[in-house]
Amino acid sequence: MVQKAMEFKKVLVPVVGSEADSEAMKLACQLAKKDKGKIWAVSVVAVKRALPLDAEIGPEIQRAEDILDHVEKIAEEEGYETETDVIQAREVGPAIVDEAVERGVDLILMGVKYKRRFGQFSLGSVVPYVLKNAPCAVILYQQ
Amino acid sequence: MSVNWQPKPGDRVFRPRRIKRFHLKRVLGIGGLFSAAYGNVGSSIYYGLGVVAMSALGLTPAVLMISGVFFLFTALTYAEGATMLPEAGGSGAFAFRAFNPWVSFIAGWVLMLDYIVTMSISAFTAANYLGYFIPALKEWPANSLGGVAIVALLALVNIRGVQASSRLNIILVIVDVLTQVSIAVLGVLLIINLPQLIRNVHWGVAPTMNQLLFGISISMIAFTGIETVSNLGSEARHPEKSIPRAVLLVFVTVIALYSLLSMTALSAFPVHQTPDGQWVTDLTQRFLQDPIMGIASAMPVFIRPVLSFWVAILAVTILVIATNAGMLGASRLAYFMGQRHQLPAAVSHISSRARVPVNAIIIFSVIAGMLVATGHIILLADLYAFGAVLAYTAAHASIIALRIKEPNLPRPFKIPLNIRIRGREIPVTAVLGVLATGVTWFIVVYTHAIGRIVGFAWLAIGLLVYYLYRRRVTSPGPRKPL
Repeated sequence: MVQKAMEFKKVLVPVVGSEADSEAMKLACQLAKKDKGKIWAVSVVAVKRALPLDAEIGPEIQRAEDILDHVEKIAEEEGYETETDVIQAREVGPAIVDEAVERGVDLILMGVKYKRRFGQFSLGSVVPYVLKNAPCAVILYQQ
Repeated sequence: MSVNWQPKPGDRVFRPRRIKRFHLKRVLGIGGLFSAAYGNVGSSIYYGLGVVAMSALGLTPAVLMISGVFFLFTALTYAEGATMLPEAGGSGAFAFRAFNPWVSFIAGWVLMLDYIVTMSISAFTAANYLGYFIPALKEWPANSLGGVAIVALLALVNIRGVQASSRLNIILVIVDVLTQVSIAVLGVLLIINLPQLIRNVHWGVAPTMNQLLFGISISMIAFTGIETVSNLGSEARHPEKSIPRAVLLVFVTVIALYSLLSMTALSAFPVHQTPDGQWVTDLTQRFLQDPIMGIASAMPVFIRPVLSFWVAILAVTILVIATNAGMLGASRLAYFMGQRHQLPAAVSHISSRARVPVNAIIIFSVIAGMLVATGHIILLADLYAFGAVLAYTAAHASIIALRIKEPNLPRPFKIPLNIRIRGREIPVTAVLGVLATGVTWFIVVYTHAIGRIVGFAWLAIGLLVYYLYRRRVTSPGPRKPL
């Protein structure tokens, strides 16, 4: 039986401003290119409950804009266009999964930095949440 | 564009923001809204029952039901307002749109008082329920110190940015509802005595007319917390459906439980006359600051120890959550008022490190701590009633004014039952609500001396600060209406 190759027509790339974002975006461009897919890069601003969800936190939004500027440039260098969006949410993991569901993406591609917590390798709280709840394939790119 | 292009010194490059209207993740459904609203409203019974019974005596169940009807009117007003104007300001936001910045400031400022008093009364009561484990905490000043410690700890948690798990909150509220339902069912099966409830009432004597009016006015505190719905309106999925349904669900749950719990309490602790001629109930003589513990202590012996232990733990947990909810509400309201130049920027400024309005949290926590330190639950209840009733009056008036001034403003939920006056649809419940809460506010002012003094002092200080601040602000431009 011939297994059907995976198609990535819609790719979601959550970015956080780490070095892994650049490589993750390059990989996303390569994967999407062959299927002429679409890429969305999103940066999630987590708003604490002491503020309303639509609070304008200037520095955070500026930081998100800068991160998205950077990944847009990476995508341009790869000869690919990407759409970008800033999302404000209470929690990052659910926001990413929700965005994936809304857009009906085929793939979530996340860059992961090597982190240790209490001497043990740690993926943090967002990545495990996305791995557990994502409605589609998830690729982690670790540097 | 040429690869060798370099901007000249006079060039300005404008890059529009990616989003003009923030892409917000709305995740709350009916369950989340109900648990958040009930977590606030439902926690009030843990102290409200005692302070109401102190005045209303045998008529406590009836007084709570009357207030419950006023609460329904207020809930419907907030449902329309929150879906129409999903902003953090609550009645302040409604009044800003309907009237002018001054009316909005008054509504917001008294709502701020309510959030601060929520923190104080919840923290103080939590310390009293902890007295089940540490008896010293049932007396002043230990209970006040315990309350201050709770407020301080929560301020630190919110400044440091430790996020409470929303799932845990929902679980705790469900457990709280189930516990209250269990107590109510046990009350119906084992304690409620209708002939005793009738004997509890001595018309014109116990309670007197003054006591009854006092009791009705203060009973509003048993239902406060509905403004939470406004706070969460911008986070609700399909707010036109989820908000009204959550509000009505809260109303039904609250009315049913408060009625049964108050009937259980007054059956277990009948109204009687002391040797010096005063009419009292042992509920307030012994359990003024922890009335639900009083109900647990009146249960049959085979269930009393387990239920008392369980009530103590649950009450402390729910009241700490309510204290935190008050703190978050004050913080969000400070942000809202800061955006509209109703509070100095230094108060509502978002700290770049903590990403919360640190100064607001500290200032209002200190005020709350000072109120807790008085150890005077009746003062706290008076202030609560003063602020809440005025805020609700402003909300009702704003909804009516917006129906007249902006009849075509999109209203995802519109209060049913309207009358047509000169081509405008006026909601009957808002009219009745503004009359009821307006009259109640005058009763509060007339009958609650300490509340009157401190409440008006709060208003006066706020208006003075606002006046002086507005004089300094050169371009007090509010956000354009949506």
